[in-house]
Amino acid sequence: MLTTERLGGSALCLLALFVMWESRRLPLGTWHNPGPGYFPVLLAVVLLALGGLVAFMGGRAPRVADVGWGEAGQALVILGVCAFICFGLERLGYRLTMLGALLFLVWLVERRRLVAALGFAAALAFGSFYLFDTLLRVPLPRGPFNI
Amino acid sequence: MVETLQNLGLGFSVALQPAVLLYAFVGCVVGTLVGVLPGVGPLAGISLLLPATFGLTATNAIVMLAGIYYGAMYGGSTTSILMRIPGEAASVMTCIDGYAMARKGRAGAALAIAAIGSFIAGTVSVVALMLLAPPLAGFALRFGPPEYFALLLLGLLVLAYMSGGSMVKSLAMAVLGLLLGMIGIDQMSGYFRFAYGVVELGDGLGVVPIAVGLFGIAEVLATAGQEVPPQVLKPKLRELLPSRREWRESVMPIGRGTVLGFLIGIIPGSAHIISSFVSYAVERRLSRHPEEFGQGAVAGVAGPESANNSATSGAFVPMLALGVPSGPIPAVMLAALMVHGVSPGPLLIKEQPALFWGFIASMYVGNLMLLALNLPMVGIFVNVLRVPYSLLYPAIIMFCVVGVYAVNGSVVDVWIAIVMGALGYVLRKLGFETAPIVLGAILAPMIELALRQSLAMSDGQYMIFVSRPISGTLLAFGAALVLLNLVSWLGRGLDWRRRIPLDEKGENL
Amino acid sequence: MKRLALTGLLALTVASSAAAQDAYPSRPISLVVPFPPGGVADLTARPVATAMEKVLKQPVGVVNKTGAAGAVGMQFVATSKPDGYTLLLALSSISIIPEADKLFGRPPAFTVDQFAPVALISADPTILVVRAESPWKTAKEFIEDAKKRPGQISYSSSGIYGTLHMAMELLSSAAGIKLRHVPYAGAGPALTALLGGHVDALASGPAVVLPQIKAGKLRALAAWGDKRVAALPEVPTFKELGYPEAEFYIWAGLFAPRGTPEPVLAKLREAARVAVGDPEFKTAMDKLETPVTFKQGAEFQKFFDADAQRLAEGVRKVGRIEQK
Repeated sequence: MLTTERLGGSALCLLALFVMWESRRLPLGTWHNPGPGYFPVLLAVVLLALGGLVAFMGGRAPRVADVGWGEAGQALVILGVCAFICFGLERLGYRLTMLGALLFLVWLVERRRLVAALGFAAALAFGSFYLFDTLLRVPLPRGPFNI
Repeated sequence: MVETLQNLGLGFSVALQPAVLLYAFVGCVVGTLVGVLPGVGPLAGISLLLPATFGLTATNAIVMLAGIYYGAMYGGSTTSILMRIPGEAASVMTCIDGYAMARKGRAGAALAIAAIGSFIAGTVSVVALMLLAPPLAGFALRFGPPEYFALLLLGLLVLAYMSGGSMVKSLAMAVLGLLLGMIGIDQMSGYFRFAYGVVELGDGLGVVPIAVGLFGIAEVLATAGQEVPPQVLKPKLRELLPSRREWRESVMPIGRGTVLGFLIGIIPGSAHIISSFVSYAVERRLSRHPEEFGQGAVAGVAGPESANNSATSGAFVPMLALGVPSGPIPAVMLAALMVHGVSPGPLLIKEQPALFWGFIASMYVGNLMLLALNLPMVGIFVNVLRVPYSLLYPAIIMFCVVGVYAVNGSVVDVWIAIVMGALGYVLRKLGFETAPIVLGAILAPMIELALRQSLAMSDGQYMIFVSRPISGTLLAFGAALVLLNLVSWLGRGLDWRRRIPLDEKGENL
Repeated sequence: MKRLALTGLLALTVASSAAAQDAYPSRPISLVVPFPPGGVADLTARPVATAMEKVLKQPVGVVNKTGAAGAVGMQFVATSKPDGYTLLLALSSISIIPEADKLFGRPPAFTVDQFAPVALISADPTILVVRAESPWKTAKEFIEDAKKRPGQISYSSSGIYGTLHMAMELLSSAAGIKLRHVPYAGAGPALTALLGGHVDALASGPAVVLPQIKAGKLRALAAWGDKRVAALPEVPTFKELGYPEAEFYIWAGLFAPRGTPEPVLAKLREAARVAVGDPEFKTAMDKLETPVTFKQGAEFQKFFDADAQRLAEGVRKVGRIEQK
């Protein structure tokens, strides 16, 4: 029975093992002179123990399937949009990227009318650019044609 | 005392000049704005406006920069309460209970309590700054690596009180946060740890991307796709102000938060971010209804918000009394002073009384201005909750991205925030608390550095922690706390076992 | 008709290429500072930018790209287009970082020959400071004490392989002493540590310690420069004391990516030269207590190469500490 705590605990154990593996090249040092690998390995050991404890005692937690993942689909879409923002930010510039991202979310995902969505997205994208880049002098990336 | 009053008079005569008032106001407004915007914190705000101050006089420059700093602490609570997005790292704790209060329809009350708590803390701490700056500064200097280590260890213990629910799960999250804090250049040896060749990870993941991701983006991910969108609340004017009960519940937390924040703020180092975490834990421990925490406890908003405001005044103590930067923000302000030809140092107060006392007086004025700015804005800000969530969350995502990008101008930070957002979402679904991760990520590099520095100082001898008075006291205090808790835990266990036979007897009767 | 068009086209091409050549700069220039605002590099860069603006007649904007002790910003400029619109104001750590990378067997974030040096702006000598209550009144006493108690005298620095660390290392190898190094995260905390009595000594740039010296909290023992520090005329240099290899400057210099066309570089050098003579620039630098030392072209290259070699030697000597 896959409960939330069993899943979470096991994931933490795996992460702990991963950290220990990745720290193999860092010198451990001694008790009196800890090296760069000392703390990561120590913490990984503790995490392994804690994660194991959580997984072991996790029989009574709710089942993963029962938690209700209804919003997960939309969450994935939003994550995709965020990834798009990251890729586009320095290539397309802030305003175009944000315009695209906001338009996508408001028009296609939330199904608002195109004209209203376009207006909303443009207002937010260009307005926030003005606020940050011009007023607050936070340099935001510009895209082709210096947009 | 008379001399202090005279000096204060001098200070007010400087601070109430129209030019100085204007710049203080500008600083406060920008600070509030910077605080409200998620991710962009006071450091980013001050750094960006530093060049703009070069043409001003020294007093105007420092008054404006200080205004940005403590103004940001006022504004930071706004997005935390309304949208569960931390305005800056110090407001993370307000997200928890502040947002819960908002969901219960008490957003106005939460905002008002945050503003008033900030005002009281800000004003009282300025008084303390004024009266105690030189002696306190000397004390603060005696905090070296062993003392830091002891203090931060106490901070870790605090983690145990931060969240309800399973202690084991909270600890596991804390350790996860500690591990995340290990990423980056190891200050003691020069090794790059877990950076995989990405130069931008050299300084670690960064508090801002982690906090904004785990709280802001994760919140959007969890809420946007819900079939029943969050209720659009239409708060009425009456409901904007805190009730009498809420006032009563916030008085002591504000007092404790003020004292705690100021003390933590004096200590050189970036420890002042921890002030809100510690305050939350203390309030939770001392509260008569600890189960309220996480569901909208007033103390969970009043305490941390007061703490982070008085910590900013505390941070000025070493800066003004000794000319020593107690963190990145005072460092920038010291640089601003240097550029204007004012050499910061122990003689600053003596050589530039007009500057010092004018600065202090303008902080009083600034706090008043901020209260006047923020309280009416409660009514305006609360209307943000009327916007349908389907339009609100794209805007939230946008602000999160800009806020995180603005800190370093780096897309890597935005990636980190997004990954942390996904992580935060999954952890929430699986029933794990995310706040300990943030605290762990902040504390890890500091604790490790303090430990290894101490060992470098003592050539490997662990005795240094006990032989130095301050660190020895702190460690003893921590040990006492742990022992007390163990005893009470055991005691409760024994009680429980003794009660069962009684219950059985009762039932049989 | 055709000939007219052809001539016209030819004339246009010649004109535009000529225009392109002396059209530099035709748009704003970014001066990248790889350190946070308020630090030495940032405060030096801003007056430079303002002064150069006047000469180049184009806005010169300071852009802070921080991270990894400067590596992020330096890597950024090393890999940007060599068209003269992205410049770097670097500190002496530019020579240290690639060496440290080599030491750890990492692919370097950037290499020194990815840059074309334009001009040296300032060269702060480093000063050895101790607390006023310490028993050492002169550098000689300090060094002798260090020889008697190897590894007992501690000093702070802004970070491992950082400028303040390397300065002390150069002294240690020149004088044959062994000191205990306690790295801190930046120059500010390093100074705080000294003031609080947690370490015994510090190698620091003059700007932050001069007020403390004047207030009687710190004492300057010696300087790592070629000449004595103007504000501290009674403090000898290590050269005078017989340790000529202990020469170290926290210098700030202007760099462009390698491959920037020579006429652009020449224009930049000229602009830097004029900027440094600008009276407003001089006042700004005076306020920062930073002496202006201008070198350009071949002179800067010589200085840079010598300094880079010294530092590379130093880094190699330090080695990887946990292997000791």
